[in-house]
Amino acid sequence: MSSVPGVVAINTFREAVRDRVLYNLVFFALLMIGASILVGEVSIGIDRIVIINLGLSAISVIGLVMAVFIGVGLVHKEMEKRTLYSVLAKPVRRWEFLTGKYAGLLVTLAVNTAFMTVGLAAALFYVGRPLVKADTSILVAVYFILLELALVTAITLFFSCFTTPMLSTLYTLGIYITGVFAADIRDFADFTKSQSLKGIARTVYYLVPNFHNFNVIDLASHGNSIPLKLIGENTLYAACYVSLVILAASAVFSRRNLK
Amino acid sequence: MLLAVASLQGRIDASTRALASAEEHLLLRSGRTAQKLSLGYDSLLADVYWTRAVQYYGSRVGVPGAKFDLLWPLLDVATTLDPRLVVAYRFGAIFLSEPYAGADRPDLAIELVKRGIPANPKEWRLGTDLGLLYYLRMRDYPKAAEAYLEASKNPAAPVWVKLMAARIAQKGGSFETSRMIWGQLYESTKDPKIRENALRQIQSLKAQEDELHLDELVDEYTKGFGRAPEKMQDLVAAGLLSGLPVDPSGLPYVIGSNRKSELNPASRVVIVPPPKLPGSGK
Repeated sequence: MSSVPGVVAINTFREAVRDRVLYNLVFFALLMIGASILVGEVSIGIDRIVIINLGLSAISVIGLVMAVFIGVGLVHKEMEKRTLYSVLAKPVRRWEFLTGKYAGLLVTLAVNTAFMTVGLAAALFYVGRPLVKADTSILVAVYFILLELALVTAITLFFSCFTTPMLSTLYTLGIYITGVFAADIRDFADFTKSQSLKGIARTVYYLVPNFHNFNVIDLASHGNSIPLKLIGENTLYAACYVSLVILAASAVFSRRNLK
Repeated sequence: MLLAVASLQGRIDASTRALASAEEHLLLRSGRTAQKLSLGYDSLLADVYWTRAVQYYGSRVGVPGAKFDLLWPLLDVATTLDPRLVVAYRFGAIFLSEPYAGADRPDLAIELVKRGIPANPKEWRLGTDLGLLYYLRMRDYPKAAEAYLEASKNPAAPVWVKLMAARIAQKGGSFETSRMIWGQLYESTKDPKIRENALRQIQSLKAQEDELHLDELVDEYTKGFGRAPEKMQDLVAAGLLSGLPVDPSGLPYVIGSNRKSELNPASRVVIVPPPKLPGSGK
């Protein structure tokens, strides 16, 4: 990572570590330990399912919170502390800075997710369940969560290029929730008799990032395999959407008057 | 200060306990709505609902006059949120169908299991659970045989499922078939409460079958001697029995005041009466 975005990414990651962002792992560890001990006491026959559901949901929620709340400050903080101006005074292009920031946060999220996955595996081991071949679906679910986080981070970064952190948070969460309900928007388009509404719903369905695609937690918790085709399609979908959003963010940021 | 806060909390708990109504409430009874509100974390929410169903059942089972009104909505929401939660269908059906230790609603139990079968095509056990409900709770032997036969078509189902279907079709309602079904249930679960119940049922069936045979011998004795036997030893003395017959708990049967065989008053075996059929008024 000797290129400009690489250097920015490394510094973003270091900054996140310095800011004790990875301390959330302690919370995750406590959650997993608590769940592993308690679940057998309060329920019947779902020890393994609860650990997987809780673990993957926590990985997703913690990742989302980090992506949004760190993401909205990525550009804003640099502007507020005036460090952005000294960086841009060097031979660093704005898009390079932005891409580096994005990659840095993504690396932070990936490291965080990797640690949490190890914690999840440890909790499963604790409840007396050796890891089996079907558990590859848990890894696929984690990978899909990472794709989801990559998309959320890109959207957060896009909004943070032209608005305040508070508004960026609101817009990102709004788009996230819309994306979670993407399947319902499609269903609405199928059911409605109004042709204009059908058209609008279909357009919205294809425009909003479909976060529903990345949710395979239920399949993973029941040990069902996830088709390779879906993994490929989701990877391509996320890659295309992220590229589009980062391009848009770079375009906005490049035109922004920073004075 | 902390002590004061803890003490105050104790007082607030006491006050709110008095205000709380005796009945529990379930705000969200629609699985579809719960699914929307879960923002994609529906399988985790299903676990929460299932756990709540288990605790709801556990808090009421064995309590005289306890009602299980929220059991069905809790199971309904849990299985709508996660249709693959096989454990909720299997145990939920037992909670719903049990006449003495449950909601005594075999009709809802059947509905629950019927919903689980298409959602979990690989789970042959749901098919046998359906057969079990028809057999034991509804005494609908043709439907029970049909359910076992359908379950036997699953490639993962063991051979005995098909044998059971044939047996029920041929000898529905016999003690032996009932014992086989309870035996399969006993073997198929590790839950101590369910195993205990299955064992109680097996012992009850054995005792009922023994009593039928003994009553036949009592009739034979009465015909031969012109009077009814007064005690079980009379049947032994008459050569109708080789020794004193004992129940599954090891205690000898006795002749009751009505001149019929009975369980020893000290016996731990309980004769479980056949279940009431919904709508039969029996």
